Amino acid sequence: MKPPKQRRVSLLLKSLVSLPALLLSGCTMDDLRLFHPVGLVARAETHYIVLLVIAMSVIIVPTLVMLIVFPLRYHHSRNAKYTPDWHFSLGIELAAWGVPFVIVAYLAYLTIQGVYAVDPWGPGILVNAPGASQPPITVQVIATDWQWVFVYPDQGVATIDDLVVPAGRIVKLQMTSTGNMNGFYIPQVAPMVDVMPAMESKDAFELDQPASYIGFSTDFSGAGFSWMQFSTRVVPQADFDAWVKSTQASPNQLTYAAFQKIAQPTVNFGAKPAYFAAPDKGLFGEVIMAAMQGVVYPVPDSLTKKVSENPAQGAQTPASPQ
Amino acid sequence: MATNYAKAEPSALWNPSADEHDPISARTYGFWLYLLSDALIFTSLFASYAVLDNPSNAAGGPLAAGAINVSHGLLQTFIILASVLAYSLATVSMKNGNKAGLTLGIILAMVLGGAFLYISGADLWALAAQGNGPTRSAFLSIFFTLLLTHGLHIVIGLLWMVIMLVQISVFGFTKDVVGRLLNLRLFWQFQATIWVCVYFYVYLLGGAV
Amino acid sequence: MQVAVDGPWSPLLGRLSLAAIPYDNPILVTTFAIVVVLAAVIVGAAFYFGKVGYIWREWITTVDHKKIGVMYIILGLVMLFRGFMDGAMMRTQQLLADGPASPGYLGAQHGYLPPYHFDQIYTAHGTLMLFFAATPLVAGLGNIIIPLQIGARDMAFPYLNATSLWLTMAGAALCMISLFVGEFSNATWVGLMPFSEMPFNPGVGVDYWMWAFQLSSLGTTFNAINMIATIVKMRAPGMSWFRMPVYCWSSLTTNIIGLTIFPVVTVALTMLGIDRYFGTHFFTAGYGGNFMLYINLFWIWGHPEVYFLMLPAFGLFSEIVPTFSNKALFGYATMVAASFSIGGIGWVVWAHHFFTMGMGPQLNGYFSAATMIVGIPTGVKAFNWLFTMYRGRITFATPMLWAIIGLVLLLVGGLTGMMLSASVFDYTVHDSLFVVAHFHCMVLVIGSALFAAVTYWWPKVFGFKLDEVNGRLYYFTFVVASLLVFVPLFYLGFAGVTRRLDYIYNPDLKSLLWVSEGGIGVYFISLFFFLKMLYISLRDQIPAASDSWGTGRTLEWLTHTPVPFYNFAVTPQINSRDELAWRKANGVENVQPTQYVPIHLPNSTAVPFLIGALSAVFGFAITWRIWWLSIASLAAIVIIIIIRSFDKNEGYVLSAEEIARLESRPDLASIIAEQPKRSSLAHVEAI
Repeated sequence: MKPPKQRRVSLLLKSLVSLPALLLSGCTMDDLRLFHPVGLVARAETHYIVLLVIAMSVIIVPTLVMLIVFPLRYHHSRNAKYTPDWHFSLGIELAAWGVPFVIVAYLAYLTIQGVYAVDPWGPGILVNAPGASQPPITVQVIATDWQWVFVYPDQGVATIDDLVVPAGRIVKLQMTSTGNMNGFYIPQVAPMVDVMPAMESKDAFELDQPASYIGFSTDFSGAGFSWMQFSTRVVPQADFDAWVKSTQASPNQLTYAAFQKIAQPTVNFGAKPAYFAAPDKGLFGEVIMAAMQGVVYPVPDSLTKKVSENPAQGAQTPASPQ
Repeated sequence: MATNYAKAEPSALWNPSADEHDPISARTYGFWLYLLSDALIFTSLFASYAVLDNPSNAAGGPLAAGAINVSHGLLQTFIILASVLAYSLATVSMKNGNKAGLTLGIILAMVLGGAFLYISGADLWALAAQGNGPTRSAFLSIFFTLLLTHGLHIVIGLLWMVIMLVQISVFGFTKDVVGRLLNLRLFWQFQATIWVCVYFYVYLLGGAV
Repeated sequence: MQVAVDGPWSPLLGRLSLAAIPYDNPILVTTFAIVVVLAAVIVGAAFYFGKVGYIWREWITTVDHKKIGVMYIILGLVMLFRGFMDGAMMRTQQLLADGPASPGYLGAQHGYLPPYHFDQIYTAHGTLMLFFAATPLVAGLGNIIIPLQIGARDMAFPYLNATSLWLTMAGAALCMISLFVGEFSNATWVGLMPFSEMPFNPGVGVDYWMWAFQLSSLGTTFNAINMIATIVKMRAPGMSWFRMPVYCWSSLTTNIIGLTIFPVVTVALTMLGIDRYFGTHFFTAGYGGNFMLYINLFWIWGHPEVYFLMLPAFGLFSEIVPTFSNKALFGYATMVAASFSIGGIGWVVWAHHFFTMGMGPQLNGYFSAATMIVGIPTGVKAFNWLFTMYRGRITFATPMLWAIIGLVLLLVGGLTGMMLSASVFDYTVHDSLFVVAHFHCMVLVIGSALFAAVTYWWPKVFGFKLDEVNGRLYYFTFVVASLLVFVPLFYLGFAGVTRRLDYIYNPDLKSLLWVSEGGIGVYFISLFFFLKMLYISLRDQIPAASDSWGTGRTLEWLTHTPVPFYNFAVTPQINSRDELAWRKANGVENVQPTQYVPIHLPNSTAVPFLIGALSAVFGFAITWRIWWLSIASLAAIVIIIIIRSFDKNEGYVLSAEEIARLESRPDLASIIAEQPKRSSLAHVEAI
C-alpha cells in the first residue's frame, strides 16, 4: 500500500485531470449554450452569475485548499505540531461567521438587483434595449400535451412548434397551458417560466441578430414530453413581415374548434411545424376559461403505455412555404 | 479554552440506581410531541383554507358564509367545551381514586362529543344534499376536509374513551391506565382547542363576509 | 361520490386483474426471475440452517434499538442497490436515445425504454433513494448509536420504534410489488400537479407512490417522536446538555424538523388522495383548484427534508473527524448553534424550488437571500471540522477518507447550490441536469457520511472490523465513479439539457453521455469491492477491541465489543463532554463496575411486524380500490393495537448473576447471539 500522502495526491490528480479531458472530449464549447447568452436578458443573467461565482470563490477556494493541506500536513506520520487541547478560538469563530455574512450580504444584493433586471413579467434590463422605442411583439403561447401553439393576435397568424420573431423588437409572451404545467425554455435566450393551466404567465426577451434556436419544455408533462421542442427563428423585420403575409394566406384557420383538435394528446415526433391564419380573437382567453371550468384533455391509456407505436400525429395541416 | 482534564478524584463512574425512570412522564412527553405533529396537520389545513378561501376558488359556489350554520357553530362550541369540562372533572375524580366519578365523567364527555358529531354531521350532510358537497369546488373541498378531519379526531377520542372505560373496570388504576387517561385528557383538550380555531376562523370570520 | 375509474373494477378484486401483470415486458420478467431466485436462496438457506425460529424470535419481533437499526440499514442498502439499478437504466437510456437518428429497441422510439417505463424508473429512483434508502440508513444509524452515546438502555419507546421500522418496510414492500403488479407512478418523486390527478394519470401508479410515501412518512414521524423523547429524557446521569455528543445534537435538530414537517406533506398527499378517490378539487386546474397550493405545501416539507437528511450527515462528520484527528471537536457550542440555525432557516426558504412559477421579483428576491443565508452556518461547520484537523494527529482510516471526500463534495455541492439559490441564475438552469448534478452532489455528501459511519461503528456492533484493503478500493472506485457520472451532468446542464428526458434532442452531447456511462460502469466495480469487503470481513472476523479505532472519545466506545444487547451493564456516570476521552486522560477507562444490579428489559412482540404487514396489505388494497380488504386491514390494525393495549406486558429482568456471566462472555451477549427464553415479569401492581 502506498503511503497515505501519495495515495491522496494521486487521487487528486486523477480527478483534476478528468475535468479538462471532459472539455476536450469532442463536446465543443458551442454546445455549452449557457456560456453563450444572446440578448440583453440572457446576458444579464450570465453577468450576474459570473459575479456571484467569483464572490463565492473567495470562500470556497481557500476552504478547498485547507481541506487538501490540513489532512496531508497533520497526518500522524508527519509529526507536525499537535495541540490536542485547543478547540476554541474567538477570532476564528468571528471570521467564520463574519466573512461569509458579508459575502452573503453582497450576493443577496446582487441577486435582488439581478432578479429585477431579468424579471420575466417585465425585465428591467429591456428598458434600455434597442427595441424599446417600438411597440413589442405579443405572442400568446399555449402549451398542450405535447405541442406548443404560438398565436400572434396582432398579426392574425398562429403556428405550432415554430416561434418566428423579428430581430430588434421586444417579444412579450403571454403563456398558458391546456392541462399540465410545462416550462417555457429557450436556453441562452429567455428566462425559464412555468406555463400553467387556468393561469397566465409572462416572459420577455429581445434578440437583435438573425439566428435559430431550439426551445424545450422543462416541466415533465407526460409521455410526449421529450418531444416538446420548438424552433425559435429570429429573422430580419422585412422577412418577418413577409412571413406574416404569406401565413395569413394559409387555408387553415385556427378556430377554437380546430384548436381543440390540436389539443388532443399528440406526440409530435420531430417537432414538425404547422401554420394557421386567422386565429380566433380571444382564443387565449377561451383556453384559460375552459381550463378554469374543468375542461381537460385526458391522456388515453394507449398513448401512455406505447407512445412509440402511435403514428406520428403531428400537426393536422401541412407546413406552409417559408 | 482548553479542556480541563485535571486530575479528578475517582468520582462515581457507574450509577446503578439510574435505571428507574418515571414511565408516565416519558409517555406524556411523547404524547406532547405527537400533539405537536397533529398541530402541524391542522396548521397545514388552515393554511390551505386561507389560500382557498377566495371567490376564484369557489367555482361559482358558496364560500364560508354560504356553507356554515352560525348558530349551530356556537352551539357546537359550547357542547365541546362542556365535554372537555366533563372529562376534566373525571380526571379530578381519578386523582381522588374515585372510579365511579371517573366513569361518569367519561360517559358524559362521550355523550356531549356524540352530540357535537351529530350536529356537525347533519349540517355537512345537508350541505352536500343541496349540491354543495366537497366535489363542487376547491373551497368546499377544503371546508369539508377541515371539518371532517376535526370530526375524525373526535371519533378517535370517543373510541379511546370506550376502551378506557373497559380498561378501568378490568385493571383499575394501573400505571398504564392512568398514563393513558392523562394522554386522553391532553388529546381531548387539544381537539377542543382546534375546534375553537375552526369556529373563529371559519364561522366567525367566514360568516362575517 | 367515489371517482369513476378507467378500466374494469369488481367488488372482490377492485381494479386488480391479470392484465396488471406486465409479462410482456422482458426487463421486468427478468427482474422478477432474479428476485424469485434470490428470495428462494435466502429463505431456503434460513430453513436449511434451521434459523427460521431464530430470525423470528431475535429479529422480526425484537424491540432492541440496535437490531432495529441494523434492519433499517439492511433495508437501506438493498433499496440503495435497487435505486442504483434504476439510475443505471436511466443513464443508459439517455446515452442510447441521443439525437433523432438514435435507434430504438424493445419497442421504444429511441433507446430501449419507452417513456411509460422510463418515467416510472426515475420516479422510483427518486422515491426509493430518498424514502427507502437514505432515510432508513439515517434512522438506522441514529437508532443504534444515539442510546449508546447518551448511556441509555434503549430508546424511549421501543414498541413504537419497532412499529416505525415495519411501517417503513411496508412502504418499501409496496414499491417492490409495484414492479410486478400494475405500474408505479410516472409523476416523478414529488408528484407533479396537476399531472398526478386522475385525467392525466388514471392508472394505479400514482396511488402506489402516494401510499408508499404516506407509510414511510408515518414511520418517520413516529421515529422522530422517539428520538426526541430519548435525547431529552433518557440521558445518563451527569450528561448535561453541553456534555452531549454533537451527533446527538444534530439528531435532536433533525428530528424536531422531521416531527414538524412530515405532517405537512401528509396533508398534501391526503388532499391529493381525496382528489383521486373522491373527486374533490384541491389540485385540479378547474373548479377553483389550486395546484400551486400542492407545490407550496410539498416544498414546505421538501426543503426541510433535505436538512433532515443532511444534518445527521453533518453530525456524523462531527463524530468521525475528531476521533481520527485525535483531538476534540473545534467549536462545540457554535456547532450546536449552527445546527439549529440551519434547521430554523430551512423552514423559510422553500420557494427556491419553484422560482420559475412566477411569484414576482420581491418574493423571488427574498427567497434567494434567505436561501443564501443558510450557507453561513454550513460554512461555520466546515471550518470547525477543518480546525479540528488543524494541529491534530490524523489517521487515514477508511471512515476518515469518506469524511474528507464528503467535505470536498459539500464544497462543490454548496457552491452549485448557492448558484441555484440566485433566482436570476435559476431562470436559466431550473429543472435542468445542472440541478440534478447539484443535488446528487449533496446526496453523495450524505452517502459519504453514511458509508463512513457504517465502517466506523461496524466493529462496535458486530465485534470485528470491515476489511480495510477492500474498503479503500470500494471508496476509491466509488469516488471516481461519482466524479465520472455527475461532473458531465453539470456540463450537460450548461448545454441546456433539461431533466426527465426519455429522448435527448442534441446528438453532439454523446461524449459527455459516454463519460457518465463510464462512471456507471465504475460504480459496478465499486459494488464488487463492496461485496468483496463484506465477504472477506465476514469470513475472517478478526476480533476488534472495545475502543476499536484506538482514539474513540465518546461513550459508545466504552461498552464491550460487540456491544451487548443490554448496552451497559451498569449505567455510566458522566463526568465530562467526550466522556471516554476524559476517562482516558484520567486513567480510568478500564475501570469496570464493581456490583451489578438487575436490569429490566422489554419483551419482544410480534405486534409491530403485524402492523407493518397489515399496513402493506392496506396500501395494496386501497391502491387497487379493493374496498373490503382496505377496510378489513385497517380495522385489523386498530383491533390489534387495542388488544395489545390490554396486554400487561412488563418485560423481563436480567439478574445480577446473569449479567456478570454475560459480561465475561461478550460473544453470548452480542445482538447476533440467540438469547434463551426468560420469564416475563408477573402482574404489575396498582398505583
